[in-house]
Amino acid sequence: MRARSAFFAGAGSVAILAVGWQAGLGALSSAIPTSQAVASGTSGTGTSNANSATSGSTAKPSSAPSSAPSASAKPAPAPAPVTPTVADGTYDGAIVNTRYGTVQVQAVIAGGQIVDVIAVKLTDADRKSEAISAQVAPMVHDEVLAAQSAHVANISGGTYTTQGYLQSLQAALDAAGFTG
Amino acid sequence: MSTHTFTTMGTVVSIRLAHTSDTDPRAHEVVNAIEDAFENYNGQFSLYLDHSEISLIASGELTLAAASAEMRDAYARALEWRTRTHGDFTPHRPDGVLDLNGTIKAEAIAAAADVARAHGFVDFSLNCGGDVLVSGSPESGKWITGIVDPGVNNTMLSAVAHTDGWCAVATSSTTERGEHIWSRPETAHEAIFRQVTVVASDIVTADVWATAIMAGGQRALDLAVATDTLAVLAVTRDGGLVGNENFRALVAR
Repeated sequence: MRARSAFFAGAGSVAILAVGWQAGLGALSSAIPTSQAVASGTSGTGTSNANSATSGSTAKPSSAPSSAPSASAKPAPAPAPVTPTVADGTYDGAIVNTRYGTVQVQAVIAGGQIVDVIAVKLTDADRKSEAISAQVAPMVHDEVLAAQSAHVANISGGTYTTQGYLQSLQAALDAAGFTG
Repeated sequence: MSTHTFTTMGTVVSIRLAHTSDTDPRAHEVVNAIEDAFENYNGQFSLYLDHSEISLIASGELTLAAASAEMRDAYARALEWRTRTHGDFTPHRPDGVLDLNGTIKAEAIAAAADVARAHGFVDFSLNCGGDVLVSGSPESGKWITGIVDPGVNNTMLSAVAHTDGWCAVATSSTTERGEHIWSRPETAHEAIFRQVTVVASDIVTADVWATAIMAGGQRALDLAVATDTLAVLAVTRDGGLVGNENFRALVAR
């Protein structure tokens, strides 16, 4: 089963980016800063320590902008220099199907922090054809008429009672001891 | 190929074991084990038995909190399906009784398939009251399941050949003994389907969506194909057909 997520119906919000990031990238412990938070100066290593200690891996974008500037204003208690555990670069997150198309989240890492999150809309031919195969449309009886009726092993229909079974096609097949 | 049938849950189970003769003692062993598995589910979840666990809950003699782990887990799964189908499938009867009929039959079929595999069988089919689950293949070709025409007695509308990933098929219809289909009076929907067949990779998914689409109509059908990988064929009240490419690709031509 594909995991279609109902809460992507909102489209374009930070929530999408946050969940896509979590699903794809796993445990990076800093909160996702909005681009405003980044601009307001969270480049200090002391600040990133404070953020990871308080925010964990749950994105709280509304709190990040306000906490980051104040954290950088306070003297951080003997901060150790952060050694980035993740190399700088752009990382691909999960590919998620939304009502508006297939979206992939990318996180840009610099100095051990997420400095940007990008939502990339994919136009993957496979996913498109999968969506088309799912779509429902009127059909004519000839399209579904089976040529291999002689090889039918079982019958699917609404639930029959034990009484109903006796008059059913399934019973006829069972009695004949279907041999293929 | 050997064929075995027995009565359970108010309906009939038909088992086919490929590459097995009728006289094979392993066949009788596995059929007995499968029958036991269904009886266990029935004994616990049947509302037709006064002293089943679910009936004791319905009468108030047993609270859900004090119920067995299997009961609470089954209820939790049914609630997940209620959410997933946006309420078109629900274990809550209008009179407030907890009714797990909608998922238990399919869960029992899935458990029966596990029993068959545990006994070393790979190629078999299980039909419980019109819900079919296949494994492997028959002696030649693929397992093929016919779909009844709801308008014409004992006639097939179509048949699907079960390929990989499409081993389960369930059909829900207005003519069935489907007490668990509750049209939701508070939601406006077009009750436009007379019968719905869903093919999927597992029998609970197929069964729940077939039920939900019968209850919720076009809206539920659109949700179903957007939510899970399904092949669907629905018969409208005027005898027309609606289906998807996934279904067309499975038709046993």
